[in-house]
Amino acid sequence: MDRNNFIKWLKAPAKMGHKYSLHVVYFCTGCGIIEIPPSITTRWDAERFGIIPVATPRQANLFLITGYVSVKTLKAIIRTYEQMPEPKFTVGFGSCPINGGMYWDSYNTIKHLDKYIPVDGWIAGCMPRPEAIFVAVTHLWTLIDKEMANGYKRYRENYKYYRANQEQLYGKVEWPPLFPIEDKDESGPS
Amino acid sequence: MNIIGIILFPPIAFIIGIFFIGLSRRIMARIQWRYGPPITQPIIDIVKLFNQSSVSHGIIFGLGIILSLAGSIVVVLFLPLGKICPISNSGGLLVILYLMILMPLGAALSGGEAANPNTSIGISRKLILALGYEVPLLLILLAVMTYYKTISIVEIVTMQQSVGWSLISLPLLLSGIAYLFILPAILGVRPFELIQAPQEISSGPIVEYGGKFLALATIQHAFGLFIGVALFVNLFLGGGGIGSISTQLGSILTSAGLGCIVSFLTGLIFFLKMLVVFVICIFINAVYPRLRIEQAVKYLWKWPTMLAFAGLVIVFIIRR
Repeated sequence: MDRNNFIKWLKAPAKMGHKYSLHVVYFCTGCGIIEIPPSITTRWDAERFGIIPVATPRQANLFLITGYVSVKTLKAIIRTYEQMPEPKFTVGFGSCPINGGMYWDSYNTIKHLDKYIPVDGWIAGCMPRPEAIFVAVTHLWTLIDKEMANGYKRYRENYKYYRANQEQLYGKVEWPPLFPIEDKDESGPS
Repeated sequence: MNIIGIILFPPIAFIIGIFFIGLSRRIMARIQWRYGPPITQPIIDIVKLFNQSSVSHGIIFGLGIILSLAGSIVVVLFLPLGKICPISNSGGLLVILYLMILMPLGAALSGGEAANPNTSIGISRKLILALGYEVPLLLILLAVMTYYKTISIVEIVTMQQSVGWSLISLPLLLSGIAYLFILPAILGVRPFELIQAPQEISSGPIVEYGGKFLALATIQHAFGLFIGVALFVNLFLGGGGIGSISTQLGSILTSAGLGCIVSFLTGLIFFLKMLVVFVICIFINAVYPRLRIEQAVKYLWKWPTMLAFAGLVIVFIIRR
């Protein structure tokens, strides 16, 4: 941890700020939320790394999706993600957002979360222990350092793909597109 | 000299306020048997917030926060910090009273533009709470002004160095206790944390703030903490003095040409007094749950108002 490295603060204050002040929206979708209270309270104390839960997506820059994602919940997840200010990081917690987990044959559950919003990292396990959150945060620091935690950039660049996936699921998406969708193929080369 | 003070005071107040925010998070963590964040965590947060993108909801949305911040910076200039006060010979306590209302007003203007129901609830709670603590605060200030027969806060501080602290002097004891009772409401800490209740109204007035708006709101909160505690220390704990011996020592040092050292020492003593008062407020914050708004107003209009009124009557009888 290089939080007290003053020279790094002078060189890249924005990057260091994003690393050591992660304000989290814990999206309470399933059983994974039960691992969050120990990690933010006395036993594991996430606040010593500057990680605090916030009540609104406008103030957050880390999005933790804890547990399975049903089709109905995904709407709320996408809208929450789009309201967060950039740069924003997403971490899927547990095996359910990765590939469906124990809900692999459910008709009402999303199997691959990263088809609908970009995900920067996964915590595998059913359930992962609270220590796994800290391991994930350490990895996220490394990714931010190497500028590989670029999910929000991917969302902006490939917005057409994500929007198409969302429309495929819901038929018609109720909210307006976040970024303009330009149709390069239809406008033609002229 | 005054211009240097005007330039230097807001940064000093900001540093003290930010230190108080970091300290409160640290002490709260230690009380809950945690390690807690480093004391520089609020500065890290502010650096991050200024580097984030943010969503604005209109011109007033930004201007309201700036109005609130500007109001609190101006109030800081009227408060003597130890021996120095940049704007000492104009207005005094009355101007401070007028300017202090700019802080909730700016937040209300900005929150009205955001059009979020949680913001509206938070703003209405903030203004109702302000209504709740302004009544005892006005009675307390009236008692202090009547007792010292002046509206100048600098003169009140100077007089306390010869006759002793207001809190210890008997006629103003009740007013001082009443101020201690409403201090958590002025600072917005836990028994009166209902403005920003994150669990019920998603952090209230700041729910739509993100990025640089939230950074400005945090800076304004730091100034608010400084003002609330500094006003109490100036009115009731004798500002930067610790008794008549220190005053004589100060005059000897000043005549020897060491005025800078005296200003620094009084500033340091002032800061230590603020620290003690603020730490007591954090302890109260750590043990009490949150009141509802009607319970808070009921409390504020009952016990502190009764004490302040009794104090005012005593002062009137003595000074007649």
